[in-house]
Amino acid sequence: MNWPLILQSMLPEHLLLAGMLAILGLEIWSGRSRDGHALAVVAVAAAGIAALWLHATGFSAAPFAGHYSVDPYTTLPKAVLLGLALPVLLISRDDFAETPYYTLVLASLYGACLVVSSDSFLTLFLGLEILSLPVYALVVLGFLRPQSAEAALKYLVLGGAATATLLMGMSFLYGWNGSLELAVFGDAVLAGEPIALAGAALIIAALFLKAAVVPLHAWAPDAYEGASAPVTAYMATVVKAGVVFAALRVIGTTTLTPPVLGLVALLPLVSMAWGNLAAIRQTSFRRMIAYSSIAHAGYLFFAFLGAGAGRWEAIVFYVVAYGLMNLLAFAALPRGADDERQDRLDALKGLHRRRPAAAAMLAIAMLSLAGLPPLPGFVAKFLVFRNVVEAGHTFYAVAGLVASYLGLYFYLRVIQYLYMGEPEPSAARGQPRRLAFAASALCLAPAVLLTFFPGWLLDRL
Amino acid sequence: MAEPVALNLLLWLPALGMALLVAAPRAGDRAVRYFTFGVMLAQLALAAWLYGRFDGSVPGLQFATRIPWIADWGVHYHVALDGLNLLLVVLTAFLGPLVVAGAWTAVREHVRLFHVMVFFIQFAMLGTFVAQDLFLFYVFWEAMLIPMFLIIGIWGGERRIYATLKFVLYTAFGSILMLAAVIYLVWSLSRSTGIASFDFTDLYRHRLPLEVQTWLLAAFALSFAIKVPMVPLHTWLPDAHVEAPTAGSVILAGVLLKMGTYGFMKLGFPLFPDATRLMTPALMTLAVVGIVYGACLALVQTDIKKIIAYSSISHLGYVMLGLLSLDLVGVQGALVQMVSHGLVAGGLFTMVGMIYERCHTRELAAYGGLAKLLPVYSVFFMILTLASIGLPGTSGFTGEFMVLLGAFNAAWPRWLAGEALPIALAVVAVTGVVLGALYMLWLAQRMLFGAVRVPHGPVTDLGVRERVIMIAFVVAILGLGLFPRGPLAKTELAAREYQERVLATRLDEGTP
Repeated sequence: MNWPLILQSMLPEHLLLAGMLAILGLEIWSGRSRDGHALAVVAVAAAGIAALWLHATGFSAAPFAGHYSVDPYTTLPKAVLLGLALPVLLISRDDFAETPYYTLVLASLYGACLVVSSDSFLTLFLGLEILSLPVYALVVLGFLRPQSAEAALKYLVLGGAATATLLMGMSFLYGWNGSLELAVFGDAVLAGEPIALAGAALIIAALFLKAAVVPLHAWAPDAYEGASAPVTAYMATVVKAGVVFAALRVIGTTTLTPPVLGLVALLPLVSMAWGNLAAIRQTSFRRMIAYSSIAHAGYLFFAFLGAGAGRWEAIVFYVVAYGLMNLLAFAALPRGADDERQDRLDALKGLHRRRPAAAAMLAIAMLSLAGLPPLPGFVAKFLVFRNVVEAGHTFYAVAGLVASYLGLYFYLRVIQYLYMGEPEPSAARGQPRRLAFAASALCLAPAVLLTFFPGWLLDRL
Repeated sequence: MAEPVALNLLLWLPALGMALLVAAPRAGDRAVRYFTFGVMLAQLALAAWLYGRFDGSVPGLQFATRIPWIADWGVHYHVALDGLNLLLVVLTAFLGPLVVAGAWTAVREHVRLFHVMVFFIQFAMLGTFVAQDLFLFYVFWEAMLIPMFLIIGIWGGERRIYATLKFVLYTAFGSILMLAAVIYLVWSLSRSTGIASFDFTDLYRHRLPLEVQTWLLAAFALSFAIKVPMVPLHTWLPDAHVEAPTAGSVILAGVLLKMGTYGFMKLGFPLFPDATRLMTPALMTLAVVGIVYGACLALVQTDIKKIIAYSSISHLGYVMLGLLSLDLVGVQGALVQMVSHGLVAGGLFTMVGMIYERCHTRELAAYGGLAKLLPVYSVFFMILTLASIGLPGTSGFTGEFMVLLGAFNAAWPRWLAGEALPIALAVVAVTGVVLGALYMLWLAQRMLFGAVRVPHGPVTDLGVRERVIMIAFVVAILGLGLFPRGPLAKTELAAREYQERVLATRLDEGTP
């Protein structure tokens, strides 16, 4: 064992682990559970900086050859995931003062880091489970209403189904080829033998389930609504991004051919259309975001229609733009004691009169999620659909763009509430909070950068 | 070298103004208004200076700035003036201060947000006109929706939410298909030539098979035709115009509608010349149907704003007719008609806003004999009415006359060759002038003359601020009507270039 190499290449993971242990240790030794928040923020920031440092130095190594490797294509997604987790932690303190929350988030992030570095189905499976198991607990941790428990259970059961499906697919591929390497997936798609194709399809289905792609999306609206706002933000951004990065790891640069191509084209297409249409009817903000994230999962998986090289660029840029804007919305969202009422879209009516800055930030987030220029969401969408056209799937690109058009209405409706509605007299004011402000600044600053200089990030991909 | 700097400054002044307004949350309403007005005036001064410096004897782009923006994709920040956008940039800059001044007393709620949005839309409109890169153009084009959505939705009339959603959803549908076409076009360029570029000049050289050209033109045309708007895609316009606040109507009629015709002129037709020639009979028929149908609808409206809204459909039909005639006089006439309509419709909407502020109704039947009560108002209204009809000496005459002349010029040889459609369309288009005279004079007669009828008691005539606004409109209208030679000389080469581009054959017979 080459310990220094392991230490260096797994530095982000080690820092997360250290943070986790420190939080637990602190609780045991001092009995104070209040410092968990600060420790978690420090650990995630340090891990993120470590990932960026590894990326900047172009570090690449395979400390556990065949299972776990580190190169710039893994360090950047790690930095992105950790960077997105930071605003989530910043908006968490009002909801969660206790340590378990922070330990669970750090554990889940550890899993996310493992996923993007995995080379074999074994590590990938481990990573995905470590990523999602703590989230089941996080959903129920807030326990805001009885529905939270129901939502968590639903999420757990369907998550378990995804796990089983993934294992089944892996075992098919193992039975076909006798290898657990991720590269087997590409061979299986190209080989076109029934068992290999069945294995590939099961693995994709499992990833679709975890990312909430129609028709495997049913858990998402309940889980998103039942969880507390920071957990929803975490699920919509970090967990979703982690799963998509897992897909990127599995599919890699394999050129998809029918019938797998059909699976990756049609279900995301339906997902975009259905997510955008169903979002129109929602009255709960988090439920609406759930449907929005179902549609966005569709766009993200659409990127796999493109040729190998462009996928990486499209997915990373999309994850950054989508993640930042989603988190901006959650950071700007006014919060109050009565969660169920605050979560209603009606509660946003006339927010511009009460808190213009929060309204403006929510509006920016919604417009970017809708993909309207000049906001970063537009460049992200452009990138995805450009790759689809360049791969020769013009029909899918046009259908996808029309499906994305369907989403415009419900994003605009939020803006309509913010600016054109009269505030309900009983609406809680929702005090601006300093940490939430820091979180929104953390999201807004890179978003502004990406608006004016999208090339800055694209050059680095 | 000062001119490119001035052009960039012209474009970015509104953005700067927007940023400053956002950064000063405690500024009082008065300060915000004066600040916005000042910035708009500075912008107008810059535009006027650039207009003076623009050399009409040089073809192609002038005062260009070209900086790589997204280097990977070949996207450039490329802005420049040419004969096609010159007049429209000046028009936009000219309407800016008038919009702000016109909203001085009308907008009382969310004053700061209102001016931020006016800056925003000014920025987006100028950007759309000066952009010479398809990506940049699209970004500005789509970005226009955001401020207009809020301007109609926040400060509009009773059915403002319905109107603004209809406006945005209509226009966004066109744009999304245009986006698909943009992506495909640029991809096919890079595939066939190896150049990854969004630059208009590169795209003008691109050869495509007729079938592809037709599809792409259809996608672009849908987007532009919704904006113009061309019948049958016009149904958003009356709602948006009627519900928008005065400032919104002026911006909509004054500049936003020209985006559509400008898009056809700058992109749609020259990019796909072969498909354009194939589609000309259909598009020309739609344009003439628009002229007559818009005029007929204007005849039967009872809401003053609706009359002017439908008249816009009719007047922009002339622009399309001129562009499609491909005759030099017709194309130049279309350019003048665009500016003229911006001034006349902008002025008329401003005047409707002024009377609405006093009487709070736009019902035509509620008014009568205003000439006795409001002599100054009536004089200005009469001048604008006559300009809308196209009385010689006003800009309306120059535009419509040149367009019709161009249409006949182009149709005559075709008629001799045995083709009846162009000349028939030109003849029908002339009846639009008659109908235009009918509904505008009828409007003026019912509103200004006859028995005195004013809702909500006594009214005061125009104040100093309002008089200055209207004088500016009238001076511009008469200036363009009496001395059209200056603008025509500056735009002649560009019109010729447009003509050549659309008449050229750029078919690709090889790879599909």
